[in-house]
Amino acid sequence: MSAAAPATPTSPYRLAIQPGKSIEELKTALIERFAATVDPADRWDLTLLVSRDRLHEAAAFLRDDLALRFDVLLDVIGIDYLSFPDHRAERFAVTYLFKSTVFRHRLKLKVRLDEDDATIASLTDLYPIAEWHERETWDQFGIVFAGHPNLKRLLNHHEFQGHPLRKDYPCQKRQKLSLNDPMLDQLEARLKAKGYQVVSAANGSAQTGAGA
Amino acid sequence: MRTIAPGGDHVDLMTINLGPSHPATHGTLRLFAALDGENVIAAVGEMGYLHRGFEKMIEQGTYQQVLPYTDRLNYCSAMMNNIGFCKSVEKMFGITPPERCIRLRVVLLELSRIIDHLVCICTNLVDLGALTNFWYFFNTREEVYTIWEKLCGARLTNTVTRIGGMYRDAYPGFADDVRRVLGRVEHAVAEVRGLIEHNKIFIDRTKDICPISAEQAVAWGWTGPCLRACGVDRDLRKDEPYYGYEEYQFDTVIGTSGDTFDRMMVRMLEILESVSITRQALDKLKPGPVNTTDARLSLPDRQRVYHDMEALINSFKLIYEGVRPPAGECYDAIEAANGELGFLIVSDGGTNPYRIKVRPPCFTQWAAFPGMMEGAMVPDLAAALGSINIIAGELDR
Repeated sequence: MSAAAPATPTSPYRLAIQPGKSIEELKTALIERFAATVDPADRWDLTLLVSRDRLHEAAAFLRDDLALRFDVLLDVIGIDYLSFPDHRAERFAVTYLFKSTVFRHRLKLKVRLDEDDATIASLTDLYPIAEWHERETWDQFGIVFAGHPNLKRLLNHHEFQGHPLRKDYPCQKRQKLSLNDPMLDQLEARLKAKGYQVVSAANGSAQTGAGA
Repeated sequence: MRTIAPGGDHVDLMTINLGPSHPATHGTLRLFAALDGENVIAAVGEMGYLHRGFEKMIEQGTYQQVLPYTDRLNYCSAMMNNIGFCKSVEKMFGITPPERCIRLRVVLLELSRIIDHLVCICTNLVDLGALTNFWYFFNTREEVYTIWEKLCGARLTNTVTRIGGMYRDAYPGFADDVRRVLGRVEHAVAEVRGLIEHNKIFIDRTKDICPISAEQAVAWGWTGPCLRACGVDRDLRKDEPYYGYEEYQFDTVIGTSGDTFDRMMVRMLEILESVSITRQALDKLKPGPVNTTDARLSLPDRQRVYHDMEALINSFKLIYEGVRPPAGECYDAIEAANGELGFLIVSDGGTNPYRIKVRPPCFTQWAAFPGMMEGAMVPDLAAALGSINIIAGELDR
């Protein structure tokens, strides 16, 4: 298939990956523009610490700048530093993992968040996949993503209490969980987005959406 | 569900749960769909039915104790997870395992990729009703598992690597066994291709079914064969080579339309590329040690332990405490069978990982899937779901 496929010369995805920016070049391009600092914890690649007010702006720039083109958001990673030895900064951090399909470079952005106000702007408008990564981070750490369209639990049961990857969540703790998530609200939202108007959710056996 | 369609008509939609336990979901996945007849109008997905708290569990043990858990991520190619995790920890230590270990790992990676693709394609074909292919591929897969058994004693969950090396060297005759199986793989692929490639039923069921454009796939963070099926020529083995992949002659297989057919055929042809890489790696396989001699990672020689106090302490510390990667945060990834498998490791300098985040490749595929199947028909859904190869073990962790 690779040989027979008609080449579409306009698509950058068909071209070989181009050499990306080096760590030094990324630093000069980004540090001043977003008042970022280099995270000393990442001694292998480059992690830039940005303030949470600049995160959305920085992510938009990373995605759209023609010399950077960080078009893939690989992951959103929550970290709880509660029991980290000699940690003085804020309790939480969220690390965003970017890579590019055009250039051979990667970058991590890291935002520190205070325990009392663990809220950060959502990137769902820039990267659709952020919706799922952010749901997972909310589920596991209780970090709120402002502007997220559907901030529900992802891995844990919808009746689950607490955020299990926080360091103060006991790892042996049990919870009793019973009913399935009917998911009717999500389905109705999806139908509305497609132009359907829901008159009544009732239809025979499937109306609870549960049972399974 | 009574609705008013965009055109103003009253439409009765049937809401239906597909999964979490459904033969076509190959794992515990749940789709909740609104159907108009057999057409899917809207769908939402749910996951987490196989969530076992992997990331919480592994914070409780040492780095070596993480390894058996990684087997349970993508259990169709368990060794890839072992190797991916070890490679990330080795990056933190700044070491490279000896050459023989790296060649062996390439052989294991590519054989794992082969069996992962074999399982994906043949179960997908079973969903389409083509049962014969299942036996061609599963028999071949079984022979690879026989090699796994001889190599490390386990079939499905191997835990074959160690940080800084391997559990042990390959057994005598390993290379011959692998070469024999590679021939069988090629034979099986030829048989199955003969059955399906020009088969009208197969083509009708898969061509232009649930396609996704390259732009969308990138926006949804796709990697691996599913992304390549959309015509995006990206493969970590080529773009950011590790383990000497730049020395091997192979092509990336890319599709054009990103539909179910392309996703299946990209995997099919990737098997042949992996066969070629494995042969080249076997040719380059030279005798030598498989474990690093770095004292931070590797147990000292037994004779030295009995006669040398330092070696005794070293052995004791490694066994009772474990390895201590330098404090810091490090991300590393490999091209697994499904796409980019990454591990972000946060180390506080101690013997237990402070936090490990797995980046499972099929997470992004599953996230995009409910949107992809809107507009398709229910039978297409089974075909498309098989082709994106969701492995609940790594999806839910």
